[in-house]
Amino acid sequence: MHEIALARAVWRQVAAEMEKHSDRRLTQVHVVVGELSGAEPESLEFALGLLVAESEWPHAAVHVRKEPVVLVCRTCGREYPMQEMRLRCPACGGADVEPVRGTQLRLESLEVE
Amino acid sequence: MAERIRLEKKIVTENDRLAAALAERFDEAGLLVVNLMSSPGAGKTSLLEQTARRLADHLRMAAVDGDLATDRDARRIIDAGMPCRQINTGRGCHLNGRQVAEAIEVYDLADLDILFIENVGNLVCPASFDLGEHRRVVVSSTPEGDDKPVKYPVAFRSADCVVLNKIDLVEATGFSPASFSGFVRDLGLDVPLLQLSCKTGQGLGAWLDWLRTQREAVRCRAAPSPE
Repeated sequence: MHEIALARAVWRQVAAEMEKHSDRRLTQVHVVVGELSGAEPESLEFALGLLVAESEWPHAAVHVRKEPVVLVCRTCGREYPMQEMRLRCPACGGADVEPVRGTQLRLESLEVE
Repeated sequence: MAERIRLEKKIVTENDRLAAALAERFDEAGLLVVNLMSSPGAGKTSLLEQTARRLADHLRMAAVDGDLATDRDARRIIDAGMPCRQINTGRGCHLNGRQVAEAIEVYDLADLDILFIENVGNLVCPASFDLGEHRRVVVSSTPEGDDKPVKYPVAFRSADCVVLNKIDLVEATGFSPASFSGFVRDLGLDVPLLQLSCKTGQGLGAWLDWLRTQREAVRCRAAPSPE
């Protein structure tokens, strides 16, 4: 359950951002979890929910979105989505591939009023 | 009035900060640091025992070893000739940067060629916790089945070297080395896949060669340019 530690890191970032908008009220938190980030979206959403409930904006909604992995083949340049953990290039069969999306845990946006 | 604040900020955890500090220390000291990950029982400790027995006369090595309980692994590694500090994580399923920073206090890093970090046996959580290491090694073994790479893609994707241990049991277990390497390739991994047996010694030479090569690569990078 290291999603609790991840949730704390997300929340630190949220709190730092809200300090810049101290006259506003936090209503929504949008987080993106890459499929290869190692974090589990449902556990993270649950842990973040606990932190929100104890915060000064207990009614803010938490949205954790799973981001699919997109890869680029360094051999032929093809960009393609990962399917069933098969990362090799479907066009040329190359194994020299780089994930360009789906590896990060990101705080995407906040909604305030 | 409602407003959306776009951030797109990568989350930096407390462990990321600790790992960055460790990486800086390791680079300054100029040693190679290897983080070993596997499921429980794949043979991380056996690999370190064999490494100690075969390399201790040539390279200065030390280890830290993470387990929920007991110092059994550390004692095995020490008995094989490599200094080792045990870290007991209690219920912790992985090592973190703080535990490693504390454990290495006993070592003078500048006096070492290689530091091994034997992680807690677990192919899930350790993959998400950087420990400032230069190289990650994932150890798998034939009794675990040949589909481990596709079932634990995050750990395998992060590996710089994949070791397949207990190759002497390949027939008894019905393990298919071809399927295993196919799954590794499907992950888009272009890393060495070393088949060996810590019990019989088969294939250990390639592992020791890989270690020496990585040690040289890190040493050359750390050494000041000859101008």
